[in-house]
Amino acid sequence: MKRYDLIVIGAGPSGLSAAAEAASKGLRTVVFDENERPGGQLFKQIHKFFGSKEHKAKVRGYNIGKQLLQEAADAGVDVVLNAPVEGLYPDHEVTVRIGDSLRHFKGDAVIAATGASENMAAFKGWTLPGVIGAGAAQTMMNLHGIKPGNKVVMLGSGNVGLVVSYQLLQAGVEVAAVVDALPHVGGYGVHAAKLARTGVPFYLSHTIVEAEGEDRVKGVTIAEIDNKFNFIPGTEKHFDADTICVAVGLSPMSQLLKMAECDVPDDPSKGGQAPRVGAFGETSVKGVFAAGDVSGIEEASSAMIEGRITGLAAAESLGFITKQELEAETAGLENQLASLRRGMFAPGNKGRKITETDEGIALSESLLTQGYVADDEIARFPGVTKQRGIHPVIECTQNIPCNPCQDACRKGCIRIGKDITSLPAVDTDSQCVGCGLCVAACSGQAVFLVDEDYEEGYASVTLPYEFLPLPETGARGTALDRSGAPVCEAEVVEIRTSPAFDHTNLLTMKVPADMAMTARFFRNQKTESEAC
Amino acid sequence: MMNDRSRDIGPFVPAPDDDMIVCRCEEITKGEIRRAVHDGMYTVTEIRRWLRAGMGLCQGQTCSKLVKGIAARELGISPALLEPASSRAPMRPTEMKVLGREEGACA
Amino acid sequence: MKQKSEVLIIGGGIIGCATAYYLTKKGVDVTVLEGSDFIGNGGSSRNGGGVRQSGRDPRELPMAMWGIRNLWPGLSEELGADVEYVQEGNLRLGKTEKHKEILTGLTDAAVSCGLEVKMIDEDTVKEINPHLSDEVTSASWCPTDGHANPMAATLAFYRKARELGAQFYTGVPVSELRTVRGRVREAVTPDGIFEADKILVAAGYGSRAIAGTVGIDVPMTERKAECIVTEAQPRMFEQMLGTADADFYGHQTAHGSFVFGGMSGFEAFMENDGTTTSTSYGASCTCRGIMKYFPELASAKIVRTWAGWIDACADGVPVMSRVEEVPGLYLACAFSGHGFGIGPAAGYNLAELIADGETTVDLTPFRYDRFKPVI
Repeated sequence: MKRYDLIVIGAGPSGLSAAAEAASKGLRTVVFDENERPGGQLFKQIHKFFGSKEHKAKVRGYNIGKQLLQEAADAGVDVVLNAPVEGLYPDHEVTVRIGDSLRHFKGDAVIAATGASENMAAFKGWTLPGVIGAGAAQTMMNLHGIKPGNKVVMLGSGNVGLVVSYQLLQAGVEVAAVVDALPHVGGYGVHAAKLARTGVPFYLSHTIVEAEGEDRVKGVTIAEIDNKFNFIPGTEKHFDADTICVAVGLSPMSQLLKMAECDVPDDPSKGGQAPRVGAFGETSVKGVFAAGDVSGIEEASSAMIEGRITGLAAAESLGFITKQELEAETAGLENQLASLRRGMFAPGNKGRKITETDEGIALSESLLTQGYVADDEIARFPGVTKQRGIHPVIECTQNIPCNPCQDACRKGCIRIGKDITSLPAVDTDSQCVGCGLCVAACSGQAVFLVDEDYEEGYASVTLPYEFLPLPETGARGTALDRSGAPVCEAEVVEIRTSPAFDHTNLLTMKVPADMAMTARFFRNQKTESEAC
Repeated sequence: MMNDRSRDIGPFVPAPDDDMIVCRCEEITKGEIRRAVHDGMYTVTEIRRWLRAGMGLCQGQTCSKLVKGIAARELGISPALLEPASSRAPMRPTEMKVLGREEGACA
Repeated sequence: MKQKSEVLIIGGGIIGCATAYYLTKKGVDVTVLEGSDFIGNGGSSRNGGGVRQSGRDPRELPMAMWGIRNLWPGLSEELGADVEYVQEGNLRLGKTEKHKEILTGLTDAAVSCGLEVKMIDEDTVKEINPHLSDEVTSASWCPTDGHANPMAATLAFYRKARELGAQFYTGVPVSELRTVRGRVREAVTPDGIFEADKILVAAGYGSRAIAGTVGIDVPMTERKAECIVTEAQPRMFEQMLGTADADFYGHQTAHGSFVFGGMSGFEAFMENDGTTTSTSYGASCTCRGIMKYFPELASAKIVRTWAGWIDACADGVPVMSRVEEVPGLYLACAFSGHGFGIGPAAGYNLAELIADGETTVDLTPFRYDRFKPVI
């Protein structure tokens, strides 16, 4: 039987990272993946990632995927695509469908990096065509170039629901509502805010009563629920929609590990049945490791680090590196992982209601219940200052592990400090030059440049803009506030694009001076009724 | 863990959404699953063997969490107390001619 | 919790569940202990669903014939659940002259026991099942054989017995039997001692260790058996199938899927590692076997494979017996991979044996003490 030092199952972020790391230590490594393209979910992640430099923060997911593939290829990893692993047997044997045959391989070590699958929610009509997973919608749009529908209701306000909603808008799909049974937005506030300011309404403590339609979705009725998840009569709201996206969480795809008799307990904090693993991803079966979402649902950034750690552990288990080398090399990775697992959205805080930031500032209740920070709440955050001349306004109000804005500013205007989860603070002593690098660097699109002295009676607001077509300089339209409500007329006075901005365009609009701290989005007159 | 199959879980009470399909591969409804629990099928495995819920093409990938939730609610226990569905090869439906054409098999 | 009953059954497979049902029907107070977490978790939910008489050992044939005549046709109605019993015959297929010889031998033996079974030629085989390949040249044909759904049948017995008041406990493995004043009386479990006037051990291969605690041994071994199931297919045929070569057996289920079992040849050398994981090559062997007989199934997709452990008896037929030397003890085990088809009849007669002392079908051939040294 053909034998490898290491067989990696899954060519997503963790699998490729593991394979690259192991191969760099000299392991003959193969990666099998059932898809026709490598990268797992990375290549459909068109948004910029959070984190710090070593986490590849502010790099878009698909570019991280390209870098990772290159690294694996350079290390000599054999990536076999269209190759579903059908079984994982004793003695580390795998069976793989390749072409029209079933092939048997053995690996001295096996790393399962099989990722996750989307959860479904059952409601009346959920089996109608038009009800799809949010991840599926993302695949259709971003990998296959197909619009999943024209008008979507998103069920789920976690990061997947929020990110995919935004990408739906970018693809020209109308998002009628984001609905969540929980009383608070589940994902990052910045993701919610960038949706809300385009006019997408949030319905928390609501869920779907019914998907309407005979042979496909034609509409959706939602209603408010009480704390026992029962509908409250009289709170029904109807939306015309042709698509319902379901973003109610992910489950580890641990089937192969279960088949291999690994200990796979049901752990709600990990999203479902995830293998019990040690510090290096080792399962209860010797020589079988797990990394990435299969060992507990997290982000791609942590999956990549886990993959590297596990790849190194496999190398150590087979004598390619020493225990000391393993410990030395994984120490830094463990620190990176630990920093990603901090902040309000840390796995340990799952289900816990947090009311104030680490700095002791009360969280925006409006952000949690409506998706945007209310006008009377925004001033209390350290990124929001009042200054003469142009200056950044950072509407980042939750402790999340992310700091590219600090590095982006060469003038020292933005300070996060050593603790990656601290809220960014604007230093009023440093002089902003209006370069806009911080605006483009913020993965949460939460940085604006405001100049209240732009012109007599007018202020300028520079905002990140990721929609096409770009409005032209001189275009007139409407400024929307953080809730997406039209507040005043606006004129585009500058559009900046640059390779350094990596597809985040900087749109500067002129608004009446008293709107400087209110206007946060621009809607072009010409495209008022349609998304662009 | 000892499981008393005669313990009182209360009567089966019909619900308005009993006709909602839960396992779409095998078209098993929520009402059938709830009924099965009252018929003594106290585990996901028995529900699957009795009704075929989760036995279809997707092998429970879509519905297993839903079935678990419905059964747990009917039994008045946490879903985490119900066993996970077992996993069997092949992970993806595979034609007989492909399974039959092996390379590198050894007993 | 109730720890005392008239009859305690150890093993919640089809034998235990059917016996419990027929006992409760007689008004007997029954408790069933299942060691695993699930009812019917051994061979009862892992077999190919054959309800056959043909191909059976002559000692077992009267029980099989009686069950098919008296129980199977009315079972769905009796249990109030569709057990998917189909009585459309059994074809045992041959491709070579040697196969034909084997089939003829089996047929002659069955005929002498009064079973309606006959050898048929190539054309007749094709008439009965036009999907068969040209490689098939002979078959034995037993029109009264058939198949049913093992999971549905086992759970239907359980459901009905439970409804009639039988107590079932799962996750309660019995580690030891104890006698009190010369009679078997107690079953020791992690959840305490269960007491009964009579104890039936029907726990598959596990029966050996349990009966061993009161000094009774049944010569049997464990053998892995593997099955595969296809996605639902258009209806093709209703017969139960087997082959002279034993390379596969199976049928098309009511659901439309085909359930097939097969052999790789290494079964006798596999040690029970405590799992029911299929081997990496078993399904492939079965697929190759089937495709020679049914080329048109080549594109049917296999959605799942599974395995189970057969309690294979030294002489290939079960033990269903009162154990006189340990008063109060009854054994029903070593069904050797063909317990499902005779399951209802076994349960019916065991209930009679336990409750009345007399049985409808003679159980003498299944006595526990029939194994004598041959040299």
